[in-house]
Amino acid sequence: MSKEGSTVLERAEAAVPVTEAKVRLTVNGELHELWVKSRWTLQYVLHDKLGLIGAKAFCDRGECGACSVIMDGRPILSCMTLAIECDGKNIETVEGIAKANHPLIEAYVKHSCMQCGFCTPGFVVTAKALLDRNPNATEEEIKEALAGNLCRCGTYPQHPKAVLEAAKKLQGG
Amino acid sequence: MANDEMSQILGPDEESKALELQDNLRADKYPLKEYNNIGKRGVRRIDGYEKASGYAEYTIDVQLPGMLHMRFFTSPYPHAEIKSMDTSKAEALPGVRAVLRYDDPELPRTANLGGHYDTREPVLPKAAHFQGEEVGAAVAADSEEIAEEALMLIDVEWEERPFILDPEEALQPGAPLVNPEKFPDGNLEDKTVEEHGDMEKGFAEADKVIEFKVTRTANTWAGPERPCGVFRWNGEYPEVWVKQQRPYVAKRVVASWFGGIPMNKIQIHCPYQGASFGGWSQFEWNMGGHYCAAVIARRTGRPVKWKFNRREDFYGGEMDEGVYYFKVGAKNDGTITAVRAKSVMANQQYPFGPITHFVDNTRIPNLYGERLQVRVNKGPTTAVRCEQNPNTLPFSLVFDRVAAELGLDPIEVALKNDGCEGEDMAWLDGYKAAMGFPVRDSLRECVEKGKAAIDWDSKWHASGTKKLSNGKMHGMAFTWTHEWEDSAGSSEMAIRIERNDGTASILSCRSDCGLNAETAYCQVAADELGMRMEDVFYRQQNDPGFFTMSPDSSTNMSVNGFAIRNAARILKRKILEAATTPKGISQRGSYPPAFPDMKPEDLNIKDSVIYVKANPSNRMTLAEFVGPSGPAGPMAVYEFGEGAERTAFTPPLFAHGWQVQMGTYKEHHRPRPRLCRQAHFIEVEVDTETGEVEVKKVVNVNDVGRVVNWEGCEGQQYGGSYMGVGRARSEEVVHDPMTGVMLNGNLLNYKFATMLDIESVDTEFVETGMGYGPYGLLGIGEDVGTVTPGLLIPAIHNATGKWVDELPTTPDRVLKALGKA
Repeated sequence: MSKEGSTVLERAEAAVPVTEAKVRLTVNGELHELWVKSRWTLQYVLHDKLGLIGAKAFCDRGECGACSVIMDGRPILSCMTLAIECDGKNIETVEGIAKANHPLIEAYVKHSCMQCGFCTPGFVVTAKALLDRNPNATEEEIKEALAGNLCRCGTYPQHPKAVLEAAKKLQGG
Repeated sequence: MANDEMSQILGPDEESKALELQDNLRADKYPLKEYNNIGKRGVRRIDGYEKASGYAEYTIDVQLPGMLHMRFFTSPYPHAEIKSMDTSKAEALPGVRAVLRYDDPELPRTANLGGHYDTREPVLPKAAHFQGEEVGAAVAADSEEIAEEALMLIDVEWEERPFILDPEEALQPGAPLVNPEKFPDGNLEDKTVEEHGDMEKGFAEADKVIEFKVTRTANTWAGPERPCGVFRWNGEYPEVWVKQQRPYVAKRVVASWFGGIPMNKIQIHCPYQGASFGGWSQFEWNMGGHYCAAVIARRTGRPVKWKFNRREDFYGGEMDEGVYYFKVGAKNDGTITAVRAKSVMANQQYPFGPITHFVDNTRIPNLYGERLQVRVNKGPTTAVRCEQNPNTLPFSLVFDRVAAELGLDPIEVALKNDGCEGEDMAWLDGYKAAMGFPVRDSLRECVEKGKAAIDWDSKWHASGTKKLSNGKMHGMAFTWTHEWEDSAGSSEMAIRIERNDGTASILSCRSDCGLNAETAYCQVAADELGMRMEDVFYRQQNDPGFFTMSPDSSTNMSVNGFAIRNAARILKRKILEAATTPKGISQRGSYPPAFPDMKPEDLNIKDSVIYVKANPSNRMTLAEFVGPSGPAGPMAVYEFGEGAERTAFTPPLFAHGWQVQMGTYKEHHRPRPRLCRQAHFIEVEVDTETGEVEVKKVVNVNDVGRVVNWEGCEGQQYGGSYMGVGRARSEEVVHDPMTGVMLNGNLLNYKFATMLDIESVDTEFVETGMGYGPYGLLGIGEDVGTVTPGLLIPAIHNATGKWVDELPTTPDRVLKALGKA
């Protein structure tokens, strides 16, 4: 390969060389220290390197919410986040939410919020982040929060029911 | 349970009864009288926790030690041929382990690469017939990013060819060939004509004749899990992880490769599947990725995963793209006397013409439908929930047009024309009675429920007459059709009672697309076996060698339901026979029966407990009955020299059930009439300034015959509503007319419905028991997403008094109809 490169990618890499860095990620309460390439997304690292396959690449371009995880309390799109920028961050994935027995999980099962289930983890994560921030979320607020999550099977009507029920459970109801 | 019923279920001729039910023309002769799980609400779905918690593994998630990542080269042109290709730079890139080229000596000229039929396709085509087609080369590397990078290093010398995107243009005299490799004689691939009655007479009898044209642009599945797969050679034997709606077809296809591989040496896994609604799995090249992966896996000695990216998932689409022309004659009272329709379809895969549903579902005597199947330079099309789109759309458009033009309530027009194959409802009622079905007026029942749910009587109005206080125009629409019951298919499933705890495992490999059918099979098996729901389990992902019907054709319950029921009935008989005969039979003798001096007919099973019907306190759980297995296996000696020498083992408690039925496919003549109906309603608000259509409410009413799994049925209804509204209002694959390049192969610009796109959906069921499946049920997977799109155009007309003539009804098209654009 010539130094200037002949393809778009080569030219881009000539301008911004691929680098690696060691990052420390706290994922679901556990510390992971790993080398990541600058191009790797957080979704790739969680899914392929840490085996947390709940963070799904559906649209793969920040359009659908299926890869959502909670980072330092905020729901983010892990497919649009570079892992190299996440050093020192605290990340919660759907697996962590399930491991903590969050009532959202059982409410999601009860209300049959999943069909093929590919997008379901993204909904659960987004809903968890909402309830963390707003434990008394109304149906309208829930719809607003989940409006960015796409579901091709059309499970939409079930999610607000499950989230409301989980919210009630969290408050001892 | 009454004795007479036991004799019905537990006769010695279970297998003959199973055979008797094949090709199910008649009503179910052997329903249960007591249902504990079937039709009950709140049955916990067996995949629920796994999917909600993120632990569910899909094919695209599979990672194996040493696995390579394979990506395809794709064509930048809609029609072009590779003249030469230089892959040397790609091959030299560190981390690239193989580059497979179209001219590789190991690739056959063509191979069976999937789809409906035993067709032959080039593995790596040399010529592309649509932009984005996988052609020329596949690259496998240590990582996906290296494979991607290598693709960019491939230099191709192309010979561009002229392309055509519009099916009517492709029919023009002198139009260039769009696919000279496959269709050298012209772009018209097929023409079909369906004709009934006397068209001239039909139009002469009409008080009014209406003519119109509607265009439907391309739409697609946009499935969450992209096409992908993993291929590994375990020495000589293939192990394949498929993203496939038909794992048994995948196995059959793999068996045809490399000079033939015996079926018993192929291991297939079908993990959870991120749905593609038919779609991808039905294309003739859908196993092309696996073929290339198989070759590379063998060369490199490493498992290979192939994967499409999001843009590549827009490979093809639903087969309703085309131009539809109609001429309809009707009397003033709404009686339709004749329908002449012509459809010019782009790349349509199956011969479904524009009048099919009129034949199946109405008493209209005079029908003529002409269908032209034309090739264009876009991806292939197939059934995407489902192949009936090209004929439900004409059905909805014609009925609503007639009602609106005559100033009639569309529900009245529907009821007036309801029937079957030109015959009226009295004839159909006679058929129902003769075949043992309940005689009920399905459409009327659906309509009554739907009218109440959407408040039709007070809300429906004449077109363009209701302006709301928010300045928008209010519109209502109704459409209907017959049951969704292609119901053709064959299926095998089996049930085994586990040693030690007496639980039941369902054995079969099928694609889980999320319909919750797996739970429904457990419900059927539990009720038939007399077991508790929690004692029956089904994990569909590994292949035990049975050909289990896929989710295609809405047959989850109507075909597989029979297969699992037959298996359960045969197994129940086996269990009770085993309970009344000696156990642990060997050369050293045997143990007495669990229920001595009894006949199978004296026993029953309920809540996973075998009991004596005449004395229910004489009982034994299934777990106690099968007993603990010895340390060396269920049937082995376990206490040498300790006195007790053998376990009182039962014979293997296993049964295999099957079902074969023609359904409604039989050339173009339906082997049986359609009995059940569905009705759909919509309420919209149209902003006449912006052209925006807001969907306030959708009501779907389906006569499903009988509900087995409530949540699953409801899910198919509201899920179908969102898909249907999306298809009708915003979903559209856009190609640049100048370059033939697809412009919106992503989920931002291909707009399917979000949570906020329908304000509320109401799902209603009618259970007439008139379905052809077990217990009088029928399938529901495809219909709502297919019929709902027909509601938008009439709803906008009801709101504005104007006809939109193209789907989807995007704001620009609404404004055009309003004369504002």
